[in-house]
Order: sequence, then C-alpha cells, then structure tokens
Amino acid sequence: MTDHPSSIVVPGQMPDVSERKQARRENWRLIRRRPAFLIGMAILLVWVVCALFPLTIAPHHPLDFRTGLNQSPSWDHPFGTDQTGRDVFSRVIAGARDILRIAPAAAVLGVLFGVILGMLMGYIRGWFDIIASRIVESFLALPVVLVGLLAVTTMGNSAWVVIGVVAALFTPIVARTVRAAVLAERELDYVTSAKLRGESTMFIMFREILPNVMGPIVVELTVRLGYAVFTVATLSFLGAGPPPPSPDWGSQVSDNYSSIVSGFWWRTFFPAGAIASLVISVNMIADSVQSVMEAS
Amino acid sequence: MTIVDMGHGGARSATAGAPALEVDDLNVVYTVRGIDREVLRGVSFTVAPGEAFGLVGESGCGKSTTAYAALRYLPRNGKIVSGSVRVGGRDVTAMSDAALQEFRAREASMVYQDPAQAMNPTLRVGKQVVEAFTVLGHSAPDAAKLALEALRKVRIADPERVMDRYPFQLSGGMQQRVVIAMALACHPKLLVLDEPTTGLDATVEAEVLDLVRVLRQETDAAVLMIAHNLGIIRSLCDRVGVMYAGKIVEQGPSAEVFDSPQHPYTVGLLRSLPRHGVRKTERSLATIPGILPLIGAHLPTCVFVDRCPLADDKCRTEVPPVVALEGDPNRFSRCHHVDRIADIPEPEPGVPITVLSPSADQPGVLELSHISKTFRQRNHAVPALVDVELELGEGETLGIVGESGSGKSTLARAMLGIDAADAGGVLALNGTQVPPSTTERSADDKRALQMVFQNPDSALNRSWSVRRILARSVTKLTGVKGAAANKRVEALAAHLRLTPRHLDLKPRQLSGGLKQRVAIARAFAGDPRIVVCDEPTSALDVSVQAAILNLLADLQSAERTSYVFITHDMGVVRYLADRIAVLYLGRIQEIGPTNEVFNGPNHPYTEALLSAIPSVDGEEKTRIRLEGEIPSPANPPSGCVFHPRCPRAMPGVCDTTEPQLVEVAAGHSMRCHIPFDELGRLQGVPLPTPNDD
Repeated sequence: MTDHPSSIVVPGQMPDVSERKQARRENWRLIRRRPAFLIGMAILLVWVVCALFPLTIAPHHPLDFRTGLNQSPSWDHPFGTDQTGRDVFSRVIAGARDILRIAPAAAVLGVLFGVILGMLMGYIRGWFDIIASRIVESFLALPVVLVGLLAVTTMGNSAWVVIGVVAALFTPIVARTVRAAVLAERELDYVTSAKLRGESTMFIMFREILPNVMGPIVVELTVRLGYAVFTVATLSFLGAGPPPPSPDWGSQVSDNYSSIVSGFWWRTFFPAGAIASLVISVNMIADSVQSVMEAS
Repeated sequence: MTIVDMGHGGARSATAGAPALEVDDLNVVYTVRGIDREVLRGVSFTVAPGEAFGLVGESGCGKSTTAYAALRYLPRNGKIVSGSVRVGGRDVTAMSDAALQEFRAREASMVYQDPAQAMNPTLRVGKQVVEAFTVLGHSAPDAAKLALEALRKVRIADPERVMDRYPFQLSGGMQQRVVIAMALACHPKLLVLDEPTTGLDATVEAEVLDLVRVLRQETDAAVLMIAHNLGIIRSLCDRVGVMYAGKIVEQGPSAEVFDSPQHPYTVGLLRSLPRHGVRKTERSLATIPGILPLIGAHLPTCVFVDRCPLADDKCRTEVPPVVALEGDPNRFSRCHHVDRIADIPEPEPGVPITVLSPSADQPGVLELSHISKTFRQRNHAVPALVDVELELGEGETLGIVGESGSGKSTLARAMLGIDAADAGGVLALNGTQVPPSTTERSADDKRALQMVFQNPDSALNRSWSVRRILARSVTKLTGVKGAAANKRVEALAAHLRLTPRHLDLKPRQLSGGLKQRVAIARAFAGDPRIVVCDEPTSALDVSVQAAILNLLADLQSAERTSYVFITHDMGVVRYLADRIAVLYLGRIQEIGPTNEVFNGPNHPYTEALLSAIPSVDGEEKTRIRLEGEIPSPANPPSGCVFHPRCPRAMPGVCDTTEPQLVEVAAGHSMRCHIPFDELGRLQGVPLPTPNDD
C-alpha cells in the first residue's frame, strides 16, 4: 500500500530526527550561509560580552576621572577621554549594559502583548476586532519618541517606565501583523475540525493556531528589537535615560555633541558609533531571519 | 506483434505530411539544490495539423513539463538536456531569444488551468483581447474589429458588453473563453491546453470542451491537451500518450488505449476509476501499490517496475522494448510483457454493506426537515439553502451533487452545525432533535457527526504530528486519555492502514493520500454514526482516490457508518452512494436511489448534469446545453428557480409557480412541473443501467 518507505516526501534525512528539529536545522543551515547574519551576530556578540563583563574588559573604570581631560585617541585611551577625564572606551563598553537590558525587554514585552491582542482580534473578529483595530490605528499615529518623553517626564525615568512605554507602543504594530496572519489561518479546515470536536476558543487560538503563525512572530521580534535599541537610545539622548554619571550611550552623545565644533569629535563619535553598530547588527540579523522565514 | 526501433526517428504521425509538433527523445532536468534531476526521460511523439493529442498521467509524471517544454517555456531551473521539439518543422530548442519570442507570438498559444491568472485583473477584457491583435501588427481599429470577431467565434453572445468588463466580472467559463479567443488570435499552428477545464463546473466544462471541439474543425491547429481527467481526453483527443515518471509508456488512438490498455500502468490507471456504473458492493477499485518515484529517481530499466504486478527479473535488468501493437500503426507500449496483460489480477470483490432504511418505527440516523440557511450580505438576505428535507439510514451513503454555488457545502456545514441553520428547521440525530449550532450540541452529538474535508493540507494542523492530531480527537471525543488514548490511536492508524512510523511524522511529510487517511482516521476517532465527506478525493490522483474510496467502503462495512458524500464526480457518486440528492440554488431538485437517478427519467437539471460528464467509457450521449449561468441566490428567478436555463421549461407555468418536491416513484422525488412519464417520454432511451454489464 502507500506505506512504502519512499512515501516520506523529505528525502535524505534521518528518519529518527523529529520534523521540528529537521525544519529548524534546515533554517539554521540556510541562515548560517548569509554573510549579513554572521556579521550582525559577531557585532551583537561583542556588545553582549561587553554588557556581561564591562569591568573585566574595560581598561579603566567608566566613572574614573583621574586621567587627563579631553585627550584625543591614543594607545592608552583608544577612544580618547572626555571633559572630566573619563576614558571614553571604557564608558562605551560599560554603556552596552543599559541598552541591552532595556531594549530586548521592551521588544519581548511588546511582542508578547501584540501576539495576544492580535490573536484575539484575528480570531474573535466582530465588534471586538472593529473597536480594537481603531484603537490600534490611533496608536500607530502617535509619534513614539514624543509619547516616550511624555511618559518618562510624568512617571520618572526608571528603566521600567522606558520598557513599559516602548512595549506599549510596539504592541499595536505587532498586533496588526499577527492579526493578518491569524485571519488567514482561522479559515483553514483544521480550525473547523477543532470546533467540531468541541475545543475551547483559548485552545484553538494558542495551541492550534499559534504554532502556525510563529514565523511572522519571530520576524516581528527581531525587527522590533532593532527598533527598540534605536528608540531607547533616542530617549536617553533626549534626556529620558539614566541620570548623568551613568555611561549610557544616548546620554553620552547628548552630553558631548556640542563639543564636536570644538574639535573633541571622539567624545560623540564613539558612543554614537556604538548605537549605530548595535542597531545595524540587529537589523542585519532581522533581515536574514525574515528572508529565511519567508523562504521556508 | 513486432518490436520496432523507436530510437531517434520518434513515433511517426498517423497523418501524412509534416507534423505540426514533433517532440523527439526529449530529456528535461530540473536543478534542485544544485543537483540535476531527470523529469522527462526521452519523450517522443508527434501531432499532425488538425489533430488533438492528449497526455494523461498522475501528478508528477511530467505531462505539464512536456507541454511547457513544447513552447520552451520551462521554469528557471528547468533545462532541456537533449532531444528536440519541432513546431512546423522548426527546432524550438535551437531558436534565439528573439526568434523564440516571435514564435510564441505567432505560431503557438497556450491556455492555462486558471483563466483568472492568465488575464490582467486591472485591465478591461476588451483592451486585453485587442492587445492580442495589436502585437501581431494590426492597426488599432483593425484589432478592435478582429477582437469582436474573435469573441464571437468563442460563442460569447454579447461581445461588446463583455469587452467593457473587467476579468473578475466574468464567470470562470466566460474567462476561459476569452483566454481561448486570445490564444487563437495568431491562428497558431500549435495550441497547448493545460488542464483548461479543471477549475470549472461540469456543465461549464462541457461547454468549453464543445467549443474546443468546434474550433478544432474550424482551424487546422494541432492541439496538445494535458488533463488528468481521462474522460475529457477520450472525448476530445484523437490519440493519447500515457505518461509515467517522465516517459510515455503507452500511446495510441484514445478509444483503443482506453478500451484495451496494453501497459500495466494504463491498466491500473483505468481500473482505479469507477467505470461502467460499477458499485462498491460489487467490486472494489483497483489500486496501484507504492507511489510515483520522486523526480530524479534512478530508474535505469522500466520506469514502472517498482509498482508493476507483472514485474520480474527481466524488467529489472533490461530496458523494455517499444512494442508496436496491432491496429493503429502508431500504437505502442513500452513493456516486456505485453502478452501477459490479461494476467493482471482483477480487483477484489466489493464489501457487503447493509443499509437500514428509515421507516415509520425506525427513525433515520439523521433527519433534516425544513432546513434553510440564509446568509446576510449588506442587509440583503441571501438564501443559500431553502427548505431541505432529508433522511439518512444507518449504513447508508447519500450523495449530494450540484454545480458550485448550489449549496452543497452549506448543507454540509448546516448539518454539522458549523454554520447553524435558520430557526424553524429540525435536525434530528437518531430521532432526537439537536441544536443547530455545534457549540450548543452535547459531546455525544459532536461525536456522532464528524467530517472529512476536501483538502487535507488545510484540514490537518501542519505543526502537529499525526499522533497528536489523532490523540487529541480521541481524547476530546471519547474522553479516553493518556496511554489508553495512545492505544486507541494506534488501533485507529492500523485500521486505516497507516504504520506506527507515520504517527510521528508531520502532515507535510506525508503524500496526499496518506494525509487524507489521517483526516479520515481523525473523523473516525470517536466512532461516529455519520461522516460528512466534502469532496474528499477531488484533490487526489485517481489511483489514490481508488484507495480512499475502497477504504471508506471498508469502514462503512465494518462500522455501519452513514455517509453524506458531497462530490461533483458522477462516477464516484455512482460507485459509492445508495441515494443521490441533486441540489440547485439551495433547493433539492431531485432525490432518489442511485440507479433510478442514473437511469432516469430525471429532472431536467439532473439530465443536463449527467449529459455533461465526458465518460472514459466513450458512451454516446446527447449533450444538453444549459444556457446562461447559475443565478445569484440573492435574487433567485421567479417560479421554478431552474426555469431560465431549463431546456424543457414551459412558459406560463415554470416561470410563475415554484414546483413542489413530489414523490414520483418509490423513494424518488423531484421538483418539476412536467409529469414523470412525460419526462420519460421526452428523455427517450434511458441511460444504461449499472446492472446491465
């Protein structure tokens, strides 16, 4: 009968490896071949290591201002020193910690709430969807940075406020993507079949449909991470980040950019370059993930 | 019998003169992941001017690749390795890009399966048809005139109006006519038709095929026709090539090939079709064991050897010769054992199925009375089902037929409670009324009524393993959990001839037939009393369809399950169903025992439906043309809803009063003003009864 061994369509794979592992392995193989992914990962890894062990890597303490003021880059201070004599290199390394704590947390929370909201909108439809869609659209019209600043000014500039406000602003964007994916999925017959055997709405949404819309969700997560880095850095540049002595990248740029005209370019250039390298690396990863996910 | 060398000379045309299309020893590969995989393995055939040649075979056999290669129109990873394609004596494989473009514009045309995709949705039909002429060098006013002419030629009654419309405003049949008109614009020497009617309803399909038949007589284009429906090929093509794994294994005049096949694959293909009105209780359908080899598989000798009932050592070591057969000079089979074709074992006898018909003291397992379903569309009521009365006995199969839009699926969904029927109707299981919506039904009611869907890709959750899919249904429907549920899953799988190994795979690792088995297993997880099957085999190849139909019959024999079987395939419904209900515009037009429905006299709509089916048996039938299209259910015609299209409509009666569903013979009812014996007289000789042969 049709239980012939060749009835398995995927050729050349070991039969004892589960399908999910197989698919993951295949995606991993494809993504590893993309130079953009490898470069992005390398840069990100450098920053993660810096965030984990700043004091081990940095040659000086980031708050130590005993060295000379405004020294240009040298062997001792590769990124120079700032107006209080702190080592810019050490401060850039130490600054990775704040942004790599806040941005991923904001992205993950935003995606989590976005998935829940989008799932409800796409699956339940009806009035709930109509009302939620209008709310989502009105949120999409809000300027992220302005709302962020407003929230931080009214609620204080703790890390949690920044995480919360960025997550809240990402939620509708993610919800819209997930809703679209769920709308297509709910029309498939396996959903009908689940209803025919009496599954609950929760079960259908999160056990039946969710695994099938993971592709766009993973893509959304990586893309949101890039935006979160950018948003968090922007907020701290505008003064909504951690208070002054902290070696945060955004505040380093805002503290020093006026001195570029005085010739002290290194005080701004290196923290700004750090932000740019992190945003670009995350976006390179996001692009690679997206194209691999869309291909499969 | 003689063995001839078919080498590079190719098959010679039956007609004298230069062939319009000459495919000679064509080898095509597709490059997949850097490896060249063989798709066509030396395909040779010729088509004379004015001749129609059909290619048949199951999906993946290379018939579409052959069609595309004939126009050198392969996908980017496809490559002609060797061999030649000549159209009108010119080698298409050797043409420069410019010459190829010119060739495609002036000498060859193709009609695709989906007409909607062959047209630009943003341009009016007229503009597109006119363009087909301007590219040939006609001036704009000339092209406009020619376009009107062309649309008239494809029997479009009001071409001016059609030209003013956008493609989406036309029905599928109308779209395909427009595409054919464009294809014929250049008076092609070669017309390639790739499954031109697959997406169309039987009555529309019949019209398009009639059109192709007429146009063939008017032009002298050679037609290369690809279809998986053998009936279409038989009714339209002079000669046919049967393809398997990239090779033509048998070739000859259509009637001869279909009436006395001489290759084991052709025999298997034809026997897997329900033919000559055979029924499930008389004979099971033949299946072809194994599956089609993957593209690029290493097949050094006979391509069919792994699945062939006649295969022996010789078949595994020697390339089969091309055996010329008696009769047509051009007829051949690639087989070592043409003389042993008669030894291929007949299919097994059918299974006994006892039907417990509903009676006064014995309620049916399912009873529907006054079931209607009205959808609301922008505050308009759209009645999709009107006052349906049905009952279903234990172990009985009720076939539901009708064109798309007739309400077949709506009826199924109403029975299952997916889309609850309107208030006022009664739906009863075993004599007890159940709520219209599945969410309000009890666990037992849900368990009793399950469904098998048309497309298993959509019906199975692609991120779940087969085991999880089945176990969840077992647990949810029967309450059995854990190890006991797993045991039941394994028993269920064994019952459906799935091996334990299949249980740990994901649906996409399974072939179409295996997927549908899993879907059937799921429907049977809670020992249902009734299973609604919505076109369960229409997405499958015929040999796989045969296995699924056998399985459904076996399950019914063992479990005494009742089926509601929705289909557009009259052969399948005749094989499987005990009774047939014919739906039109949401109303039952005729319902009766299968034999009586097939033998007639029939409701005029049933008569038209039956006459539209191209039969692989080549039975002569008078075609009844249906004028116009199915009206919108939102705005049904007055009187009898069928009267605007009915060839037998009586003015003054049919357009004013809606006929009632009246029992005309025992268990046979229809909705028609014409008296039953009058219908019998009008319809003349009844169709052959299934018990005649």
